[in-house]
Amino acid sequence: MYDFVTGPLLWLTFIIFVVGLLARLVVYIRGLDWKADRVTYRVNTSYGIKGALRSIVSWLIPYKTFGWRTNPVMTVLFFVMHVGLLVTPVFLKAHNYMLYDAFGFSLPTIPDGVADLLTIGVITAVAFILLRRLALPEVRILTDWKDIVLLAITAAPFVTGFLAYHEAGNYDFWIIAHILSGEIMLIAVPFTKLSHFLLFFLSRAQLGMDFGIKRGGMKGKGFAW
Amino acid sequence: MFKKILFATTASPACDHAARVAFDMAGRYQSDLSVLHVLGVPSRGFGQYVTDVRTGEQLVPDEDYVAWVKEEMKTTYAEQLKQCPGCTMEAVAGIPHTEILRFARKTDADLLILGGHTKDRENEGYTYRNMAGSTLQSVARSARCPVLVVSRPAASFWGGFSNIVLGTDFSKAAEHAFRFALSAARQLDCRLHLFHALDISGMHAGKVLEQDEIEDRLRDSLNTMRRKYVSQMKDFKNYEIDAWEGVPYVEIVKYAREKFADLIVMAHHTGSRDAENSALGSTMEQVVLRATCPVISVNHADKVSQDA
Amino acid sequence: MPEGTLCNRKMVNEKEFLSALLADKQGKQYYAELNELDVDHKKLVDTLSKTLKSRTKTWLEICAHCGMCADSCFFYLANKKDPEQVPSYKIQSTLGRLVKAPHKADNAFMQYCMDTAWGKCTCCNRCGSYCPFGIDMGVMFSYLRGLLFSQGFVPWELKIGSGMHRIYQAQMDVTSEDWVETCEWMAEESEEEYPGLEIPIDKEGADIMYTVNAREPKHYPQDIAEAAMLFHIAGENWTVPSKGWEETSLAMFAGDWEACKMQVESVYAAMDRLKPKRMVVTECGHAYRATVIEGPYWAGLASGKTPVESLHYVEWVAEALRTGKLKIDPAKKIKEPVTYQDSCNYIRNAGLRDIPREIMSYIAEDFREMKPCKEHNFCCGGGGGMNGLGRYREQRNIGLKVKRDQILATGAKLVISPCHNCWDAIRDMEEVYRIGIRWSFLKPLLLDMVIVPEHLRAEE
Repeated sequence: MYDFVTGPLLWLTFIIFVVGLLARLVVYIRGLDWKADRVTYRVNTSYGIKGALRSIVSWLIPYKTFGWRTNPVMTVLFFVMHVGLLVTPVFLKAHNYMLYDAFGFSLPTIPDGVADLLTIGVITAVAFILLRRLALPEVRILTDWKDIVLLAITAAPFVTGFLAYHEAGNYDFWIIAHILSGEIMLIAVPFTKLSHFLLFFLSRAQLGMDFGIKRGGMKGKGFAW
Repeated sequence: MFKKILFATTASPACDHAARVAFDMAGRYQSDLSVLHVLGVPSRGFGQYVTDVRTGEQLVPDEDYVAWVKEEMKTTYAEQLKQCPGCTMEAVAGIPHTEILRFARKTDADLLILGGHTKDRENEGYTYRNMAGSTLQSVARSARCPVLVVSRPAASFWGGFSNIVLGTDFSKAAEHAFRFALSAARQLDCRLHLFHALDISGMHAGKVLEQDEIEDRLRDSLNTMRRKYVSQMKDFKNYEIDAWEGVPYVEIVKYAREKFADLIVMAHHTGSRDAENSALGSTMEQVVLRATCPVISVNHADKVSQDA
Repeated sequence: MPEGTLCNRKMVNEKEFLSALLADKQGKQYYAELNELDVDHKKLVDTLSKTLKSRTKTWLEICAHCGMCADSCFFYLANKKDPEQVPSYKIQSTLGRLVKAPHKADNAFMQYCMDTAWGKCTCCNRCGSYCPFGIDMGVMFSYLRGLLFSQGFVPWELKIGSGMHRIYQAQMDVTSEDWVETCEWMAEESEEEYPGLEIPIDKEGADIMYTVNAREPKHYPQDIAEAAMLFHIAGENWTVPSKGWEETSLAMFAGDWEACKMQVESVYAAMDRLKPKRMVVTECGHAYRATVIEGPYWAGLASGKTPVESLHYVEWVAEALRTGKLKIDPAKKIKEPVTYQDSCNYIRNAGLRDIPREIMSYIAEDFREMKPCKEHNFCCGGGGGMNGLGRYREQRNIGLKVKRDQILATGAKLVISPCHNCWDAIRDMEEVYRIGIRWSFLKPLLLDMVIVPEHLRAEE
């Protein structure tokens, strides 16, 4: 079982992940239409690129944008979750051992204590986000079952991974659960809202180009997100 | 004396006195008389709605409605129309002073007659009053022709002229008013009284003038009147000049009463865009409200003959 | 019945249709017929397939339901944080649903979409600035308006408005002759105060071609006179076109893209005919957005720019003050506390946020910013055509509360509002809430403060 999920299934997962995202990238970009969107993408490209970068980078910095500042608590939850989500799997020692075993190279790693902290961070953040979805009326009205499922899919690898690492209970069970939940999450990325992994950048870039080229960017200063 | 008269009316009883004067004059001078009623003030931004000035109702003035309003006007003035069959009736929607001035220009009127306006302002709306000042002030300021305002029943008499009073503040506009007053005095063969009110109302603000200074200024104004106006009168000798200190509109009204004036002629000072604050503007408005004879405001030279 | 006599999918291209619509008091018959209007599903599906591209599709799809857009929307705030006013909810329950199952759209659903697109959104685009994914719901509502318009589901006043643009190329029934006549009248009136003042019509090669909002000749001609006076004092070589003189776009509010194209093309044609160096637009926000920002796209101009460089009025004022063409008498600067209304269409959506601050530094001694200000300021409450829609007057009046509270918080007595719609909204706000403020365009204020050069003064 272990060999299967870390072998062919893992390959399949990554193929689906990469190909799926590539497909979404291509479809998105080909579907941009300067006439329908009313943005001349190919003209004034330097303004477009500047606008796109401003748009993306400002939102990647906590409290840089007015949006973050008006939602201070959400900002904390957001960044704690996403930093943990992205850093832990990529720089975890355990994952990198496997990488080294398979391909002969590995990325720099973080101490396990740090990984633990980040993991707890992710799980706590997800829990509060879930609470937020149920408690705040403006979020509750938007929330549907899919949002809850995605939160579960996101949290699962971290919960299972934490339990497996700390050898709480049946290790064999939790490790398989961890790998499967990780694979489920990766496969879900191209097909669900988890695609924002890529589309966040594309969508923000598009809006950034819109403001950079059409809605004022050429008058000197960029939009103060 | 006047070839084309435009009578702007609210087509309500408040304008009855002005109507009497308008139709009377049209008959007397064989003038072309147009009657204009601004039936609604625009509201709701770009929408076509207007607030009906009489009912306060919101409506869109389409052709049928306008025609109906004109019929109503004909009914209201049925009696007067008998004497003046050539008179035309028109009804439009818009901001009253804009439409009145627009129509005056279109018909090339040489006299504009406005009626009592105090009561009817309620329907003009709080905001329009604040924004544009009163219709009277805006029309008087911009009209190219003299504007005759009839407010009180006691003032709605045009005829049997013996005395005309000119109230002047020595401005350029007052000069036009003077030329008109002189021309009228010649045509109507009556006495012309030139009057200047020295404004001491600043006393309330603590600016008290010494009596010596007041009398000096009065003397100066009499000299100015001789210099500016009497010098232009050539062979016209039937005149008097006078100057008193006081609150201008009070002095003018009192003086007119004392001299048994049948007509007061004044200028409506241009000055600030904010018509309500213009000091002389409110003077004219006050005179209109209190005088016992018609008041004509002259602000521009267009319809005043240069060789008075 | 599938389509009514007044409420239908036909375009208002003839005066008879326009008159018939105008004659329908408060749109009574129109709205009655609206309740019976069918949805042309085939057309709807076809339109979607042709116009719905990946930007909008992605926006609808990736909304993370985070609710961060809620506090950005003034309707949400003014309606005591009613969850149904959350921008994401509004767009997802309308366009979101429509896109997923267009064949299921029935009359009731389309009316719900109409009431949301025009009664719960002014397309101010503020939500788009607060969404982490950059999902611009204001743009989507504009798109939805286009779909609804093509199906005949549009508020009565905007059906009329789009007709006005189609027939008169202006938002009101003012013809070229009326326009020229009004210019001549205003030039005559102003000449005594400013000898030599002219309003040149159709002059070729001028530095500035000036275009206006049709309500100026129709109801507020003093505005034209004031513009002429300021250009005269500044010594500008300017002109107005006899055709293509109007640059607003109720058609944009209505979602009538064809009429939008017609309208901006009339202005661009004037630019091509008269070849001015630049065009200056009157104090109107959506006019600038429509003609200068969006217009080139409706007209299919691949440069994305107007044929001739175009300025909003505030840009010209700032330049005139900066270069000394207009000099302010320091004794006449505004001394009372004054604040500035940042109109969405030329501040948030066109990058002119710093220009008003520059102007204020010349003309005001006690300038107070609203909170928030510049591109994050709130809509006046009456944008997107809402000022003129009787059906949503109540909702608009509630929406005004946010602007009211902003103004009260500044402590200002005067609000400067160089935009016809914002000016109207603030006037209505004062009428409804009576907070005791005054409001003004820039022109009358400037005329009270500006120093008239010796050689231009009238002899006294």
